[in-house]
Amino acid sequence: MTAVIADLREVVAELQAIVGAAYVIHRPEDLIVFEYDGSVDKAMPQMVALPASTEEASRVVEVVGRHGLPIVARGAGTGLSGGAVAEEGGVVLALTRMKRIIEIDPEDQVAVVEPGVVNVDVSAAAAEYGLYYAPDPSSQSACTIGGNVAENSGGPHCLAYGVTTNHVLGMEVVLADGSVHWLGGRTRETPGYDLRGIVIGSEGSLAIVTKVVLRLLRQPESVRTLLAVYREIDDASAAVSGIIAAGIVPAAIEMMDRLCIQAVEPAVNAGYPMGAGAVLLVEVDGLREAVEEESAEVERICRSRGPMEIRTAADAGERARLWAGRKGVLGALGRLAPNYYLVDGTIPRTKLPEALARIGDISDEYRLPIANLLHAGDGNLHPSVLFDERDPDELDRAMAAGGEILKLCVDSGGVLSGEHGIGLEKREYMPLMFDDDDLNAMARLGPAFGSEGMLNPGKIFPTGADRTHVSHSRAAAKAGAGAYI
Amino acid sequence: MIDSLDETTGRAYAVDGVIPRFAARPKDAEGVRDALRFADERGLAVIPWGGGSRIGLGNPPHRFDLALDMTGANRILDHTPGDLTATVEAGIAVDALQESLAVHGQFLPIDPPLPGRATLGGALAVGTSGPLKWQYGSIRDTVIGMKVVQADGTITKSGGQVVKNVSGYDMSRLHVGALGTLGVITEVSLKLAPRPAGEATVLARFDRPGPCFAAALGMFRSPLMPLAVTAFDARAGRRTGIVDPPGAWRLAVRLGGRPRALDRQVSESRAIIEGAATAGVEVLDAGGAETAWRALSDFGWDEPRPILGIRANATPSGMPQLVEGIKNMNGAGGLSLAIAAHPAHGTALFSWTGEDQASDDVAGIIDRARGLAARAGGCLVVEQAALAAKSGIDVWGGIAGPESVARGLKREYDPKGILNPGRFAGRV
Ligand SMILES: Cc1cc2nc3c(=O)[nH]c(=O)nc-3n(C[C@H](O)[C@H](O)[C@H](O)COP(=O)(O)OP(=O)(O)OC[C@H]3O[C@@H](n4cnc5c(N)ncnc54)[C@H](O)[C@@H]3O)c2cc1C
Repeated sequence: MTAVIADLREVVAELQAIVGAAYVIHRPEDLIVFEYDGSVDKAMPQMVALPASTEEASRVVEVVGRHGLPIVARGAGTGLSGGAVAEEGGVVLALTRMKRIIEIDPEDQVAVVEPGVVNVDVSAAAAEYGLYYAPDPSSQSACTIGGNVAENSGGPHCLAYGVTTNHVLGMEVVLADGSVHWLGGRTRETPGYDLRGIVIGSEGSLAIVTKVVLRLLRQPESVRTLLAVYREIDDASAAVSGIIAAGIVPAAIEMMDRLCIQAVEPAVNAGYPMGAGAVLLVEVDGLREAVEEESAEVERICRSRGPMEIRTAADAGERARLWAGRKGVLGALGRLAPNYYLVDGTIPRTKLPEALARIGDISDEYRLPIANLLHAGDGNLHPSVLFDERDPDELDRAMAAGGEILKLCVDSGGVLSGEHGIGLEKREYMPLMFDDDDLNAMARLGPAFGSEGMLNPGKIFPTGADRTHVSHSRAAAKAGAGAYI
Repeated sequence: MIDSLDETTGRAYAVDGVIPRFAARPKDAEGVRDALRFADERGLAVIPWGGGSRIGLGNPPHRFDLALDMTGANRILDHTPGDLTATVEAGIAVDALQESLAVHGQFLPIDPPLPGRATLGGALAVGTSGPLKWQYGSIRDTVIGMKVVQADGTITKSGGQVVKNVSGYDMSRLHVGALGTLGVITEVSLKLAPRPAGEATVLARFDRPGPCFAAALGMFRSPLMPLAVTAFDARAGRRTGIVDPPGAWRLAVRLGGRPRALDRQVSESRAIIEGAATAGVEVLDAGGAETAWRALSDFGWDEPRPILGIRANATPSGMPQLVEGIKNMNGAGGLSLAIAAHPAHGTALFSWTGEDQASDDVAGIIDRARGLAARAGGCLVVEQAALAAKSGIDVWGGIAGPESVARGLKREYDPKGILNPGRFAGRV
């Protein structure tokens, strides 16, 4: 025991020499804020190091590796699957000091940023050139680009524009041995294995990301948002199918169900009519003429499904009002129950009606209300199981209901996670999707990168333990103002 | 199931002059597994064969014993138009797939060379596509799920059949662009796109490359959303049926959309082009556009096959200089050079044709071109060259990025080194 403690002191001293005494956190009372992320899993790291540069990050990794401690990279800690939780202890490498936007290059439409840069700040910096960074996780005012890369994050507008991996041209990484390399670069094609594409979405387990080259897009010339309210959710689902069948891929198609509406209406006064069973939000953007033509078609399709009401917005103020209800749901769920377990899964979009009906059955079976929020355009569901964690039986039922929803997603030809990742939360569910051979193939990446057991160990892969208990009641508060799900 | 080949029958599957002793033409993943087990047990080197349209790409193989002909596994397993997704076997020819998707007004937004022959699996293994990537991005981005048979015959799957998925590592990235060195792609789930409601192609002529590239980059920096923008010289133009005086350049702009948006894109493209000192602009009719884009996506792999074919990458703004640099390089003696470039994507294709050259001369051209690409912050792949010229170099220009990881991947996924041995970057 003493040997271990002595050892840790030595590590602290070595790290202090690299990043400065102020940037090594090791007193238990100071470590508490690094115990958890946006999920409910908790674990105390032995220390936290905050490097200011790639060079410092690389030296930290090298030293920590030499002492045989695991390293858990951390951005803003808004992750919802426990990715930044140091389950096995070790050193948390917090990248929040590395937050420089190194370059915005309007000629080639790229940005070069450090990993601690907050997502929304990239678009803010690019705005003066009429450019923006497309992936827009709902937590974008808090989450970091490093975290986005690690989770391959999406956002409401990734329906048309794609997720993080479609927008990262290259990155600088530190491997587990401390060496620094570029994967990809500023060009849009690089021969050789696509290590860039493999590290994206690897949840901090293969490499530490220290610089990222992002592709920027031109801000759309025109945006049109349409909100349609339906008595029954099936009509909203049918409208979604109709839009896709018409060959239109809008920037975003969002949906919420009756329970969400009941929660959000008193909180936000969005003006949804009494008896509304579903709200559909469709945003079309691009060239002025294209937006006019496509939004007229979208409106026609939405009307053909007998809405209670249709509203459209042409300017930013009106648009914000239409989105207010959608963005307020997460905060408003607290009015219905003390806790919610927000499940993230994807199904083929044509299966929406059956899946939603089945979620209704699960709600009945487990005697817990489930509010459905969905990125409907790409079939990404966020059913939120409402419960009170002070009642252990409710907690168990909520977790079990969440598990049923994940099974339902996989059984409908879908997947365990659309955007929040596997982390600790869903690792025990991986066998629902993958057999041993599939998982073994994935597990060989660690040895190939030389990161096995060193970078974020224990994540993603099943341990055979009981399925983890999670709730997301804290998530909204931690993602900061403006966040929603 | 495994056929023994002799000199004559084996020749059909030769790669860089190496003739295999065995061939297998499985009709599904299980058949691929059986063939790979056969090879694994005997330590035979395997090269998966698609349509053979770009089979010569890569370093000469260290060994080659078994040709794994993938064209027998070519079914469309699922296409759900409402989901804009499809799952197909990798041996399907790209054109055959497109034809079937077109019935539902959809397509796979890739346009690799020779799509009548090229299989989807082959196109993915090579990892590069054609002009459409301007709008639709890399061929990698169309893959949402994959079934791969590993070197030892283990069948593994990753991803899924939905467009948004972060369940586990993004394993398909390992195989797209890996030239079949880490596993054999047997099934692929794809993200499709609706076909544009209407299309138009604007074709402009320039007296010099400078204004042609200026117009292309003007398009890149405008609010317009072209499907493809390709700049090409008079020799490349000849392959599209355009006869221009030497020195002339052309810019083809492919536009899509609903009627009013399309009209505006056509007129604003014209305005950008006219602002860049064009020698004339026209809008092609549908037939002319189709012929031109076919030829431009085939460029470099069509006939006559080049003595030397190079694909170079740079940033969009670095493109004009790179193209000028390689065009004006001396030492290419009796060869004639044709060039086509996709400037927004930062890709340029150089195709030298003519009489056989001394391999030293070819090596010299490659060397100088590689230097120019590196100076432009880019890189270069020798896609086609005579065996003698390829033998002395790494056509990929070596391993970019951490060598330990590239070799680590090969060690983990193909420990016996039986898949395409020696052919990929760093001769893994
Ligand atoms: C209210 C709310 C809304 C959300 N909405 C969305 C949404 O719409 N779409 C979506 O996709 N997600 C969403 N999320 C989830 C979360 O915000 C994203 O996963 C985000 O990308 C995490 O970023 P972070 O900086 O907080 O990373 P963290 O939580 O700190 O870390 C996440 C993972 O990334 C790794 N990591 C962090 N930085 C690095 C680095 N530099 N190098 C290597 N690995 C690193 C960590 O080890 C960990 O595994 C939401 C979360 C909340 C709380």
